[in-house]
Amino acid sequence: MPQQLIRVRPTKIELVKLKRRLSLAERVQKILKDRLSILTMEFLQTTIETVEVKTQLVDVLSEAYKALSIATGYHGYIALEKELIATEADLKLTVGLRNIAGVRIPSVELMGHEKSMRGYDLVDTSSWLDHAAQLFEKCLESIIELAELQRGLELLGMEINRTKRITNALEYMVIPALQVTISYLHMKFEERDREEKVRLKRVKILVSRR
Amino acid sequence: MSNELPYEKMLQQCLRSELRLVNAGLPRNQKSLSGLLREEYPHVMCSDGSTHFFKRRELEYLSSMIDTDDQEALLLPMIIELEGNQAEASLICQGEVEEKVTSGVLNMPVTCEQGRVRIYRPQLALLRKMLKTTTQYVFSPKIMA
Repeated sequence: MPQQLIRVRPTKIELVKLKRRLSLAERVQKILKDRLSILTMEFLQTTIETVEVKTQLVDVLSEAYKALSIATGYHGYIALEKELIATEADLKLTVGLRNIAGVRIPSVELMGHEKSMRGYDLVDTSSWLDHAAQLFEKCLESIIELAELQRGLELLGMEINRTKRITNALEYMVIPALQVTISYLHMKFEERDREEKVRLKRVKILVSRR
Repeated sequence: MSNELPYEKMLQQCLRSELRLVNAGLPRNQKSLSGLLREEYPHVMCSDGSTHFFKRRELEYLSSMIDTDDQEALLLPMIIELEGNQAEASLICQGEVEEKVTSGVLNMPVTCEQGRVRIYRPQLALLRKMLKTTTQYVFSPKIMA
């Protein structure tokens, strides 16, 4: 695609301005490329971790439901429900932000989940229930981690798209347009110089003839 | 005749905001690991006024690697400087403790030269995987200049 010339006055001041703009654009392109590579690296890392955590969550959930089924079979549904009513508790989460190359990503951490007492009667329940509860607690940690990772993935993806658009605009539109205009101005000045020389020679010849 | 490329002005503004954005998450000050472990919600303030939280799990992981004196000397978040070279980055070291931590996390010997530990991209990815909130990127003034 031929580059569009930027319409500027063919003066030296404009040439200086264009050169300054070109150097700024190249500098920003360099920064953006670095940022893009970091964001891409973080995105890939987060993707790998998301897959790992998701696989782990599915495995733990399947184990947890198996353990719960066994505990239900052992105690009976009504008895188990009666025991578990008292176990409801509020979750304490610490939610903050962390910054990855200008992208603010939520950071979520489950606080105080290592409880020794879960709220149900230890005398009336069996170790099957303890095992199920332990596995579900593990699931909760994985769910929270997964939520954080997936939100991070979304935000990083959006930022990568945005940065890529700007980098492409710089690489394929702005910088080539500036370069073409600068070279056009150079040619224009050279042409002017040549015209001036020819004019002077012509004047010299005319003067010498007289 | 004025500059009439339609999106030129918009891009200029965009570029300016981009320059401001990249280092907005830099911490105003660094805190020692032992100090952060004592805080209920360990955090530092960033240069743009936002807060950067540390995960307690990571702080505990770091504290398990080093002794009490080093915990006082280790300043967090650790700064990873990105230079023009895309293949490597460098971790800014203020003492030997950063070297020790990096070596422990990467499970390989590293050397500190002129206050910097040079690491390659695969190692950087590993370091960031283990220390997500306790490390922070900074775009070097060499790139910005």
